[in-house]
Amino acid sequence: MSSRRSRSRQSGSSRITDEQISDLVSKLQDLLPEARLRNNDRMPSSRVLQETCNYIRSLHREVDDLSERLSELLATSDMSSAQAAIIRSLLM
Amino acid sequence: MDRKRTTPPPPNPNPSSPALLVTRAAASPSKAHMLAFHFLRALSRIHRVTPVRRRTRTIRRAAYSSMARAAGPRRAWSRALLGQARSRRARTLARRAVLVRRRVLTAAAPSSPAARGGGRFIAAGGETSAAAASRAALPPRQAGEPPRADALRRLVPGGDAMEYCSLLEETADYLRSLRAQVQLMQGLVDLFSCQ
Repeated sequence: MSSRRSRSRQSGSSRITDEQISDLVSKLQDLLPEARLRNNDRMPSSRVLQETCNYIRSLHREVDDLSERLSELLATSDMSSAQAAIIRSLLM
Repeated sequence: MDRKRTTPPPPNPNPSSPALLVTRAAASPSKAHMLAFHFLRALSRIHRVTPVRRRTRTIRRAAYSSMARAAGPRRAWSRALLGQARSRRARTLARRAVLVRRRVLTAAAPSSPAARGGGRFIAAGGETSAAAASRAALPPRQAGEPPRADALRRLVPGGDAMEYCSLLEETADYLRSLRAQVQLMQGLVDLFSCQ
């Protein structure tokens, strides 16, 4: 891994330091679900990226699953009363 | 529908109230309201118009579209999602026009398999064929960028065109919006099942 100084001198157009990147990575780590369980010890950035990828994939799967359930529920339930219930609950 | 934007909900002491599903979903109540507004509007239209067999797919697309609309054009991932939705609609219309024309012209002859639904692919959250094509040719942006960032670029919409630093920022925002969307949909499923 090249040193911090040489990299910031090489890339004259982008002044992005390693600290900024590690700051962003730690913010990502805080978003992960397991971050709440642990002590927020700093994970290596590769691990953070991998867990983020897994988390995004699992969220995509959940969206697919919930879309399926919503389409089933839309078919069976009475929409007008459900709509009224939702609007009432959102406004109150 | 009322302007949910300007009416934030009063603090609700009842923990089991369904109104909390909106206020818990995002940090600021107005953002969660925008999310709910767009998604519910799409849902009611889907319920009216869309045939039953296409509903799951359409609801999933509506989820990502309303997520992108609620986030606004300031974010690269939301712009990418809205652009994907727009191009998909344009492609569908163009394909339908071509099919109609072909059916009219070759009324007697059986249509070739290539004409029928050429690749009605189901795009997941972030991928399209255009993104797949550009993915193969794109080297990593920075020398110090870890190889895992490549997988992340594929998952986050519009990730291919970003610098590594912006990718991390966009990922965080995308993750928050995804979580809020999942919470909203889960709340709706619970609401509908209790009817």
